[in-house]
Amino acid sequence: MDKKIFVVAKREYLERVRSRWFIAMTLLVPILMAGAFLFPIWMAARGSVSNQLGHIRILDATGAGLGERIAKAMYADSTLGIVAGDTVAPRVEVVSPAELSAKEQAAISEIQLRDHIAGVLSLTDSSIAGQSARYAGRNASNISDMDKLRTIVRQSAMMVRLEHEGVRPAIVDDLARSNMRLNAERVTEKGKSGSGTAGLFVGIIVGVLLFMSIIFHGQNILRGVLEEKATRVAEVVLSSVKPESLLAGKVLGVGAVGLTQQAAWLGIATYLTNFMAPIVMKAITAKGGAAAAANAAAASPIAGALGGISLGIIGIALAYFLVGFVFYACLYAAAGSMVNSEQEAQQAATPVMFLLISTWLMVNPVLVNPTSRLAVVLSWLPWSSPIIMPMRIGLTSVSPIEVIGSLIVAFLGCIGAVWLSARIYRVGMLMYGKKPSFGEVAKWIRYA
Amino acid sequence: MSDLAIDIQHVVKRFEEHVAVRDLSLEVPRGSVYGLLGPNGAGKTTTIRMILDVIAPDAGTINIFGIPHDSAGVLDKVGYLPEERGLYKKMQVRRVLLFLAELKGIGMREASKRIDEWLERFSLNTAEKNWGDAKVDELSRGMQQKVQFIATLLHDPDLVILDEPFSGLDPINAQALKDAVVELKRRGKTVIFSTHVMDNAEKMCDSVCIIARGEKVLDGTVASVRQQHGAQNVAVSLADGAQNGVAAILRDGALVRQFDENNRFFEIEMTKGADPQMLLRRLIDAGASIERFELVQPSLHQVFIQRVGASGVETGMSGHG
Repeated sequence: MDKKIFVVAKREYLERVRSRWFIAMTLLVPILMAGAFLFPIWMAARGSVSNQLGHIRILDATGAGLGERIAKAMYADSTLGIVAGDTVAPRVEVVSPAELSAKEQAAISEIQLRDHIAGVLSLTDSSIAGQSARYAGRNASNISDMDKLRTIVRQSAMMVRLEHEGVRPAIVDDLARSNMRLNAERVTEKGKSGSGTAGLFVGIIVGVLLFMSIIFHGQNILRGVLEEKATRVAEVVLSSVKPESLLAGKVLGVGAVGLTQQAAWLGIATYLTNFMAPIVMKAITAKGGAAAAANAAAASPIAGALGGISLGIIGIALAYFLVGFVFYACLYAAAGSMVNSEQEAQQAATPVMFLLISTWLMVNPVLVNPTSRLAVVLSWLPWSSPIIMPMRIGLTSVSPIEVIGSLIVAFLGCIGAVWLSARIYRVGMLMYGKKPSFGEVAKWIRYA
Repeated sequence: MSDLAIDIQHVVKRFEEHVAVRDLSLEVPRGSVYGLLGPNGAGKTTTIRMILDVIAPDAGTINIFGIPHDSAGVLDKVGYLPEERGLYKKMQVRRVLLFLAELKGIGMREASKRIDEWLERFSLNTAEKNWGDAKVDELSRGMQQKVQFIATLLHDPDLVILDEPFSGLDPINAQALKDAVVELKRRGKTVIFSTHVMDNAEKMCDSVCIIARGEKVLDGTVASVRQQHGAQNVAVSLADGAQNGVAAILRDGALVRQFDENNRFFEIEMTKGADPQMLLRRLIDAGASIERFELVQPSLHQVFIQRVGASGVETGMSGHG
């Protein structure tokens, strides 16, 4: 092999890694990613801990003690963070149905004037029947507050009726404390393997990373080739190194940049998540107690997904990344060598973009049904398999034979792309003037 | 080892619409300064690109120092300055040079040392600023030319190919380039340059090859080329230019075959058998004030005009020479 390939690769690598753009992208993206991981946790925590929901006035016109029940349930719910003896704790006022509406008006005026009361909950006989209750308050548009309130009222009404029907109070209290959580696990032919959502996220992360780096670094190669051609430095370089070696070095160097960037992204994002998560969790726990933290953790399947990535998946994703990257990088380089300006380059790259975008449009159908015929076909085609197959592997179980076969097809496609691009590149790099037609490019390929 | 730095035999290159080089053979002796002359579009750059294996000839063979030019490592002994200059704009000068040297097989440490020497020598590393650390596009055009020239010579090539090296050079840099060529020759290197400026070629080259429309018109040492093209030339300088009937004398076909006028200086090719003394007498009779009247060998420029003639020159050479 030509040693000069590595000289070219070294230049491509160092120049790109040293650029301000690369450093900014490499640092910013994982911060955004970590933010995307932690934000749902934080939101989930925030969503369940309302510092207002506990501070309401309850007007109980049921005569059946529903108001007391609700207040008790609120005290018991750790996510509301009500401390016994708190001056702003839910206050129950038993009223007659006749005076309810006047009391309600008075309470609303009080809410308008004073900060420590968030709203007023009015309970009637229809509340006991499980039909309706009224709430007026500052936090009425807070969806999670209202969800919580609805749940508490409904459960409390149920408890009151159970007691009324003669169920033992101890059993009723026990039922009130029960807290059901659904843990979903994915089942494949190999048995249970991690959580279902974790698989989904691994698939999406791998697919998105591949797609993004192919587009980003493919465009980079396109621009690099164009620059060499436009500044005429290509002629000096080509007098020292064969065009095939120049192309190979370029793809190798930029590919290494892509891998470096992804390693940095994953590394920094993992570190940030692991480093930040306990801090966020601690803050949540301090505020809302352990249950809130558990809630929050459950709300963020992505955090769990990171733990769900096995070495095998990384290896396979890496293999697909390499063949996919080389495939598209070569095509981008060929497109860049055909033209003389940035505008023309976008046109020349359109067929390449078409392959990429058409693959990307298929991502959603594959996510929805990873075992469909469409998904299987796409994971065999060399231009779509690098994005689709790692996703499918994350989502469902794919037989090793299918993985190896599709890798071989992708590899052959890769060789074809290298061959084709080297020929276009060889001629194109020294062609100036008008943009070549498809016929002319076909001629280059034949005669190069 | 071959005595020829370059040996081109029967090379042909066709492009879609035309034949750029047809059956071209030429031999460049080792250690010589060789001029590749011809109007624009004659096939000079195509020939040079074929020598460098940047484009492949359709037929024929090219040897460099007796070895086929596409053998591994052969081109590492060649330095090339293309007509269209260009460097990576956003790269540090030192890194560009390092990259190009490494492409020629020079190790990083050695290349680094040489780059320092060259930057010093071309005054790109001054007390005020070391331009080696600047990006290429921060440099003036003249400085970029110097950097490109350093890149050509950094790996100490045995064969240096310069394509239109004087285009775009100011007089000071042009002189520096001439000095560099002389020094290369003194050190036993072979230099090939293409140009359409005959004056430069005449002063610098040991041998020349004139090509037009892809074909060799003539080649040989500068002295022999001039000799072959007759001694019947007269150089005349007139204080007032072609006034007082001088123009009519010059158009007298019995006396003058053709002439090249530069306002006050004329290079005149006598008609075969005509007497230069007759020309002198008639000029004096016509009242011309003569500053110089000399029998000379034709200049390369004259030979060029004579041989390439009306055919290739008008379209290709207007404004030059």
